[in-house]
Amino acid sequence: MKITGLQLFWMILIMEVGMTLVMTLTPGVQAAGQDLWISILIAGCIAMLIAWIVTNAAHLHPGQDLIRLSQTILGSVFGKIVVVVYLVQWYTIIPIVLRQFTDVINIMIMPETPKLAVMIVMVLLISYAAYYGGIVSIARCSEMLGPIVVLMIVLVLLTSLNNVDVRNLLPVFVDNGAQAILKGALPSASYLGHCVEYLMLAAFLYQPEKGKPYVYWAVGGATFLVLVAMTMTLTTISVHMSPRLWYPFFEMTRKISLFGFIENLDPLTIITWVASVFIKLAVYLFIAAYGTAELLGIKNWRNLVLWIAPVIVAFALLPKNVTQATSNYLLNYWVPVAMPVNMIGLPLLLLVVGKIRQRRNGAGSS
Amino acid sequence: MKPSAIMMRCILILTVSAMLTGCWDRKEIDELALVMASGIDMTDDDQIELTLQIALPTGMPGLLQGSAKGKPVMAISVKGSNAHELIGQLQQRLSRKIFFGHRGIVIIGESFARHGIDQVLDTLLRFPESRYNSYILTTQGASAKEILQLPYHMELIPAIGMKTMQAAKYSTATKIDEFLNSVSTHEIQPYTAAIRRTKMQEGESGFEIDQTAVYLDNKLVGYLSGKHLKAFRMMHDQAKRLKLAIKIEPEKKFTKGTLTVDILHFEKNIRTFVDAGGSLQAEVSVRANSRVSANDTTLNLSKTADLTRAESALSQELHDMIAGMISQTQDEFKSDVVGFGKALHTQHPEEWKKLKSGPWLEAYPKMSVRVNAELRIVRVGRTQESGHLLEER
Repeated sequence: MKITGLQLFWMILIMEVGMTLVMTLTPGVQAAGQDLWISILIAGCIAMLIAWIVTNAAHLHPGQDLIRLSQTILGSVFGKIVVVVYLVQWYTIIPIVLRQFTDVINIMIMPETPKLAVMIVMVLLISYAAYYGGIVSIARCSEMLGPIVVLMIVLVLLTSLNNVDVRNLLPVFVDNGAQAILKGALPSASYLGHCVEYLMLAAFLYQPEKGKPYVYWAVGGATFLVLVAMTMTLTTISVHMSPRLWYPFFEMTRKISLFGFIENLDPLTIITWVASVFIKLAVYLFIAAYGTAELLGIKNWRNLVLWIAPVIVAFALLPKNVTQATSNYLLNYWVPVAMPVNMIGLPLLLLVVGKIRQRRNGAGSS
Repeated sequence: MKPSAIMMRCILILTVSAMLTGCWDRKEIDELALVMASGIDMTDDDQIELTLQIALPTGMPGLLQGSAKGKPVMAISVKGSNAHELIGQLQQRLSRKIFFGHRGIVIIGESFARHGIDQVLDTLLRFPESRYNSYILTTQGASAKEILQLPYHMELIPAIGMKTMQAAKYSTATKIDEFLNSVSTHEIQPYTAAIRRTKMQEGESGFEIDQTAVYLDNKLVGYLSGKHLKAFRMMHDQAKRLKLAIKIEPEKKFTKGTLTVDILHFEKNIRTFVDAGGSLQAEVSVRANSRVSANDTTLNLSKTADLTRAESALSQELHDMIAGMISQTQDEFKSDVVGFGKALHTQHPEEWKKLKSGPWLEAYPKMSVRVNAELRIVRVGRTQESGHLLEER
């Protein structure tokens, strides 16, 4: 199973763009108000930092994925503990993302459809992708869907141009202050930090040591798209309304009205959303199955996909409502735990310990 | 690949695609009651009355069919205490499912608006199918029910006529999201176009949208009309093609003494000042370019002296209109519909933090506003002097 750098680029880009745009806009505006664009810039810097740590850590031992890498660097016991921390992240995010996906579909377009039906369709799809082709088919899908997603977003943004009122961004900074802006950066940063999966994906590259620029470009591209799209959303639906809506980006699309006949473009954003969720879920399902199999020494990781799939559906049904699924998970686990520990702390630990060991080994052998 | 595996895949794909059709949310067009406009009133006994104007596709004359079998719309209404329950009650009378996806117009009855519109707002927002692109109107001197029951012959469905009139911006036009936005902040107070009954032709009545309803927070406080409405529209970037007519000189033998110009370009600038003592001032500067569209005076606009005279008279008129409109909103409505709050927020953000929660509502009527207006004539049309004047030489 091998993937190319370009496929990696699209994979990370899609995972980050769609989800960040839809899920983190509201918490971001609630904290940072009209200064959200500054927050996104900060979030982009944080994500870039994560990308730097992660790629450097992964390149200590090219060709090894996270499970082997952490055991090589930290030794068998500590390495396994680190992997378990990541497994917690992977196993919790799949049901949550699945649930968020279903909620969006339910709230925005299909209020009557049972949640289970929407979930099952998605789970069948991701299991198929992960089971048959593994990372290769997911990567090919992202290579194909990626340009479409970007095109859709650009199209939506272009058609919304006439609704933009830049005065909505005024006054800059004074209303919210530095602290609020930083706080607004965190949700987006935590979603843009998904390049941490590079630790798992790098091993599948044809040339694992040459993955860096693709990751940087993916994070940079995602940040740029999110920045433009969020700023435009704020300028079209204003700072007073956005924090009260669940998915302001969709609402912006609903406002589009050109020449009296180009209207109701929300299907375009739904495509973006479905594609983004599909890639994200498939990637996570794959690495969760593959990682678990490798950790436990199970020969055939494919069977694990079939085991995990029904479980995540069951867990996705657990949250009682949208608030639990979206806000609580994001603000109570993802931002305070997953971001500092899984995205920054542990990769940094791997990087530092790995560097020290390499230097020591180098010094010892020479 | 084994045939059985191929079979399995085919079945899988078929199941998935069958589920993707969204069966639960399918909406057949002949099972829907398409709501084109909705109106809400308050009755004398403090109940809410909801009226829906529903399109009846079977009543529409087809291209070949020629004439209609029946009326293409129906307006039904129901009374009760809770806006949302009313929809359920109406549904019980209709064999088709009420569908709001095509609603282009929301009308708020004057009685209801004066009482406070909180209840409707939530209803406007929460449905997945309600569109923010609908226009919101307030009635004047009639109930929303009466307006929705009026016949209108130019369009098959009256609501479409209203929507077109709003979209063409013959008057102020407010979309739902703009309205909700202004309700949710003190930076600017809400306003909508006002709709009222009027005579169309012999014995037949229709509707007219020629005024603007001004709100304070969530309550209707009055209507802007005439010159003040014109000034209001200019301040909200709708100055293009507005006409300005003034009387420059007394009526003479052949002339009435009026000069009319079309506004070609308009720019406004609001500056706000906060004194050390905390008292607020504002300065409104407007500059307009215009074109002469009718000259019923003895002035010869190709002469500099006459042109200057016309320009200064027009500038004075513009000044009076805008100053008059602002003082009407301050004294009569006490409502900042022009949006001084927004200017204050951007120019004095620290001060705004103290004002925004409520003191601004008190402060606005007391704020002193200076108006500077300058109007220039950049085109005089095809004739120099008034064309019909006798040569005096």
